[in-house]
Amino acid sequence: MENNPSDIYAVISEILEEILDIDPKEVTPESYLIQDLGVESIDLMELAVSLNERFNITVDEELIFLTPLRMVIEKACKEQRDVPTLVMEKFSFLSPERTSEILEDFKNGPVLKVKDLAQYIDSQNVK
Amino acid sequence: MNNIQNIKRSLILGGSCQLALTLVSCLLEKNIHPLITYRNLKGKERIQMELGAKAAMVELIHLDFCDRTSLLNLDACLKYRVDYMVDFAHSDYQSLMAGAKDDEIKNYFFTNVSVRAMVLKRVARCMLTKRFGRLVFISSTAAKNPNPGQGFYAASKLAVEALYRNLGLEMASKGITTAILRPGFVDVGRGQRYLKSEDQKFRLLKKQGRIITTQDISKAVLFLLLTAGTSINGTVLTVDGGMTIGKGDK
Repeated sequence: MENNPSDIYAVISEILEEILDIDPKEVTPESYLIQDLGVESIDLMELAVSLNERFNITVDEELIFLTPLRMVIEKACKEQRDVPTLVMEKFSFLSPERTSEILEDFKNGPVLKVKDLAQYIDSQNVK
Repeated sequence: MNNIQNIKRSLILGGSCQLALTLVSCLLEKNIHPLITYRNLKGKERIQMELGAKAAMVELIHLDFCDRTSLLNLDACLKYRVDYMVDFAHSDYQSLMAGAKDDEIKNYFFTNVSVRAMVLKRVARCMLTKRFGRLVFISSTAAKNPNPGQGFYAASKLAVEALYRNLGLEMASKGITTAILRPGFVDVGRGQRYLKSEDQKFRLLKKQGRIITTQDISKAVLFLLLTAGTSINGTVLTVDGGMTIGKGDK
């Protein structure tokens, strides 16, 4: 399967629809996984297993789900380092634009969006 | 194995014990393909010898809880579906609490509890892809009623019971459930060694009514695995003929 970004997004949407039993219309690239789609930790595990299977890769679950994001931000502040730089060092698949968005947004709750998953998969050069 | 995705498969951990081998025959009768793990060459040979011609109908996997690299063999087998797992694997460790050696205590719990958690994690994730899985842990009545010298054995059995219980709790919504079976004295393995003393056998018969057989255990496992359904989840079934319900006769 050749994966361009829209193929990747389509597969991720399909997986989310299966796991969460939701209407396809509810999933958009801008959907927050936790706040909008109601994803729970057990669903994230199933999502990771499904992504591994469908794309034939082994996803780094911490990275793809931005799990240590808060820790990275706190570390950057504590060490007086540039926060966006440290975030992009850790999550190298995030673009500068998306990193800025996340840093503006993260105080409002979990920031993970569907488009972040697609970006991570795309960065793994899946074929 | 062209139609591997259509055949129901059951992983049997600790497959060289007599209880497991009796179950394997029952699973084959039900067209469930057994994947049997063995710890060492001796165990592998025992499985092949006991199963005879049926050995060609099973898959043998080297999995030694003392050797974490053998988890790679498990990973390879989990690339395909696994519908069921029955866990007989557990090493014995008889020692008075105050007499145990530090390293032996550490290794015993690492091998029997920590490595098993690593196995459970892998199997559960494999089952998640099909949204179905049923796992049965073969515990022991000693978990609840240990004799002197069985403290570590009982503690590790209870710890593993807790792992299975939580797995059932966490994964039920994804179609993966668990059950725990506590056999009493069975006429094989450790139970047989204990029962060799006529006095012990007499006392047990008085308490338990009859000696539990490998067939009794297989029937109970099949009930939990295939018949009971997912409403029985994370709970314990004791199969001891009633031995542990009374006050004891010491």
